[in-house]
Amino acid sequence: MNLRLVMRMAWRDWRSGELGLLLIALILAIGTVTSVSLFVDRLHQALISESANFLAADRYIGSSREIPEEFRVAASARGITFTDTMLFPSMVFASDEVNQLVSVKAVAPGYPLRGVLKISDEPFTPGEVTLELPELGEIWLDSRLFPSLGISLGDTVEVGFAELEVAKVLTREPDRGGSLFDLGPRLLMRIEDVPATEVVQPGSRISYRLLLKGDDSALAELKDELPLKPNFRWVSIRESSPAIGSALDRAESFLLLGGLLGVLLAGVAVALSAHRYARRHYDHVGILKTLGASANQILGGYVVLLTAVGAVSVVLGLAGGGAIHMIIVALLGSLIPIDLPMPSARPFLLGSATGLICALAFALPPLLHLKNISPMRVLHRDLGSAPASQYLSYGAAAAGSLFLLIWYSGSLWLTAWMLICTGVALGVFGMLATLLLRSGRVVGMQAGSGWRLALAGLQRRHRENVGQILIFGLAFMLLLILLLLRTSLIDEWRSQLPENAPNHFVLNVTPEQVDDLSAMLAEHSEQQGGIYPMVRGRVIEANGVDAKTWEDEHRSMEGPGPRLRSERNLTWAAKLPDDNTVVKGTWWDENETRALASLEDDYAEALGLEIGDTLRFDVAGQIVDVEITNFRHLEWESMRPNFFIIFSPGALDQIPATYMTSFFLAPEKKRFLNTLLSEFPTITVIEVDALINQVQSIIERVTQAVELVLSLVVASGCLVLIASIQASRDTRMAEHALIRTLGGSRRLIAGSLAGEFAALGFFAGIVAVVGSEFTVAMLQTQIFDLPMRIHPWLWLVAPLAGSLLILVVGLFGTRSLVSAPPMLVLRGLN
Amino acid sequence: MNRAVIRSEAIAKVVPTVEGELTILDGIDLEINAGETLAIVGASGSGKTTLLGILAGLDLPTGGKVFLSDNELTMMDEEQRAKVRGEHVGFVFQTFQLLGSLTALENVMLPRELRGDANAKQEAMDLLTKVGLGERTTHYPRQLSGGEQQRVAIARAFACQPTVLFADEPTGNLDTATGQKIIDLIFELNEEFATTLVLVTHDERLASRCQRTVVLDTGRIVS
Ligand SMILES: Nc1ncnc2c1ncn2[C@@H]1O[C@H](COP(=O)(O)OP(=O)(O)O)[C@@H](O)[C@H]1O
Ligand SMILES: [Mg+2]
Repeated sequence: MNLRLVMRMAWRDWRSGELGLLLIALILAIGTVTSVSLFVDRLHQALISESANFLAADRYIGSSREIPEEFRVAASARGITFTDTMLFPSMVFASDEVNQLVSVKAVAPGYPLRGVLKISDEPFTPGEVTLELPELGEIWLDSRLFPSLGISLGDTVEVGFAELEVAKVLTREPDRGGSLFDLGPRLLMRIEDVPATEVVQPGSRISYRLLLKGDDSALAELKDELPLKPNFRWVSIRESSPAIGSALDRAESFLLLGGLLGVLLAGVAVALSAHRYARRHYDHVGILKTLGASANQILGGYVVLLTAVGAVSVVLGLAGGGAIHMIIVALLGSLIPIDLPMPSARPFLLGSATGLICALAFALPPLLHLKNISPMRVLHRDLGSAPASQYLSYGAAAAGSLFLLIWYSGSLWLTAWMLICTGVALGVFGMLATLLLRSGRVVGMQAGSGWRLALAGLQRRHRENVGQILIFGLAFMLLLILLLLRTSLIDEWRSQLPENAPNHFVLNVTPEQVDDLSAMLAEHSEQQGGIYPMVRGRVIEANGVDAKTWEDEHRSMEGPGPRLRSERNLTWAAKLPDDNTVVKGTWWDENETRALASLEDDYAEALGLEIGDTLRFDVAGQIVDVEITNFRHLEWESMRPNFFIIFSPGALDQIPATYMTSFFLAPEKKRFLNTLLSEFPTITVIEVDALINQVQSIIERVTQAVELVLSLVVASGCLVLIASIQASRDTRMAEHALIRTLGGSRRLIAGSLAGEFAALGFFAGIVAVVGSEFTVAMLQTQIFDLPMRIHPWLWLVAPLAGSLLILVVGLFGTRSLVSAPPMLVLRGLN
Repeated sequence: MNRAVIRSEAIAKVVPTVEGELTILDGIDLEINAGETLAIVGASGSGKTTLLGILAGLDLPTGGKVFLSDNELTMMDEEQRAKVRGEHVGFVFQTFQLLGSLTALENVMLPRELRGDANAKQEAMDLLTKVGLGERTTHYPRQLSGGEQQRVAIARAFACQPTVLFADEPTGNLDTATGQKIIDLIFELNEEFATTLVLVTHDERLASRCQRTVVLDTGRIVS
């Protein structure tokens, strides 16, 4: 067939509404994928940059050595912005008697690369955002240094040999996170003033950082290019803040999963409408063949047609997807106050490819089959509709889905899981659906005429209905899976950071102060964590081997993992702390007198330590030998005091300890810290409320994104529903015409339709619950590392919701069948 | 000119069924000359439609040979038979078989368009006028009565000026009066275009208007 003729036929098809559903399904498939991935893409970038606030940069290179100039040259060459910071502890003298150990951060212009500083003129107030840095010769100090040093703004203090003026109160800095307990109160100064202090001597504990900001790809290249090992650490948000890192990881997996399901649902919708289109064209092709069209002409015609439809839908789908995404961004503008960076090209590529693959894998096979229609069909209607090669159809659809899934997720693992689950689900669902239909027939015998007709209708088209229950059930199941995962992810995040989680830590409490401090905290703060003794110490030997040698031989992790020799906070406890679980070995008896130790499981694994190994510690100059008796697992995200190493109560008897505790303080009560620090000048208070707020706001945004993707997937699910109802429209039409000619009333038909859809939805709901419970259990335990949970309410709600949903959509989709005069229905059949 | 346009030699059609093999046609020999009008009659289920399908090259017999305008259909593949159909054959069906998505005019244009004929539209208009539907060209099949639909089908059948026109119970779905008019129309156009007509019917009266009648009974020609 020549091109013009094909186009004319396509136009005629379109005009008579034949192509409409296919086109709409394709457009919606492309549009959904494009808008979801556009949004996910932008949100992802936004979240990354938001969380990058925790580093004050996108990445940084950290070291105890000076950062070589070649690193900066290489960064510049790639268009990466950078700035230097130095971190070191130092004594600050306000007068001869008053001094305090602080954590100095020296920064250069450009800092912070991400996030903002906040300063104030009064300690313990929230402060204002500033874009400035301390002037040369000036410093900004943490609130808590003002009471402890007894100074106010404008005073000068000594840092090393330099005299510096206190210009502002520093109330917030973006890269405050990291190791909470090594953090003294902050002193922010200019890096240019550091030489004058003369604190930088050979052997002093200085941490140099080169903060970096730039494209992901440029940063990745830089990382590969620089000779980082063994002295320089490359740090991204994941290493530096595990709480944010794991929330982001899970959210990404989830968004990805949501996107995947969107793609699959859209593909199902396309396949359904292509099948319907093809089925409607059986006669068409039969007639064309009697008129002398050859199989190849017909094939060529439909291929050209599909290409044209594909092209049109790609254009419209991309435009539509872009528009939907803009609307979403506008709608959520107030909810998600992050300015979204411009999208990359990937979502558009993905959208176009989805269109192409949907057209090829889902729509082409049924059309290909058309060329095999026998022309005898025009004489004998039952002839020549020989089933489409099922292998070709399913094979192509499976290959197409596989390709899309792998490409979209970039993860073979996730894809394999999805496929296994879908495969198992389909098998089980098929049996379940058949069973349900059988039992429906038995019930139907006793029912009234509308219901009897409905259930008879269900089993008359038994095979189609099993198919429809499968499709509804699958779509419904996918939605339930997303819903359940969303709920459990969010619950999980919330439970890690409960409303009143401790947001202040108190260190350096002497044994004599413990009682008074507890009383004071009980009076002024809402919730107080337990009191733990604490000593600083480090490992010097493991199993009789020098710690450095052991580390060289056994340390499995490169980069920023825990080190054996680092000085650590050690504690002892008779009982296993809350939130800790013993994963190997046994916890000791409360009256244990031997010197035993419990290690955090990842720490033990990273350093190649086993139960029964012995460690020798240097604790405040005393040697302590302990035997490892168990490994614990603990939630690092929980923002509670956590210890790598816990000793049995007897082990540290001889060693003078200080105590630590934690408490919650509402923002409006911050000034209580002033009182607290005046009362107990020697204690150290660490404020993590800002950090917790940041984590919470990120989690909230991630939650919103998750909900948004969920609602977009719901939209694709409805599309599948409509497409599959449309697919059964023609058969229903013929049946209803018959029933009407036999004298059935409209009410009867409407009633039987309603009954049929309700039953279909109910069955699909049952199928969906079974499948989703199973899949969610799998995903939770295997991918998201969450505990498994069963949802009894779902077993009731899902079948009812399924009934209602399919009833409404089904009646809407078939309303013209009921209200059309029988004459028209009869003629329309031709 | 008394040459055979259609010739069949011992055609047989056997189909497998659950109960074993079912013989639908059994040794049919036929010669139909150019310009001849032939009626195939027989009871319902006697194999008329099957025979028509095979003679027109829509289907293949399981045994025997079929020639249409010197083309041995039984040696051709579906692709080649389609070409022969396009050039030589026109159809009228009991159930009209118009494309529901096309207007009357477009249905009639279709065969010529398939051939790549540029004049399709004008010729189709003429034909529609000839069958008395000049005013209904933009109507869709569902907007037309059965008789009118069949007229469109007839116009379409003649659009390519076929050598042979096959009609399978063309009045089967119509009332007697309308059927009569349709038959008149077919014979009228048949004469005008000098087409060979093969008409399947179980109506003896209708058959008597043809020059020759073959009677089919359980797959055999009985007279
Ligand atoms: N493909 C087939 N498979 C099985 N039986 C068939 C097939 N085609 C036709 N028949 C049977 O062959 C017989 C003749 O059919 P047909 O040619 O349609 O008869 P007629 O047109 O004379 O009524 C019928 O009994 C019909 O059921
Ligand atoms: Mg017949």
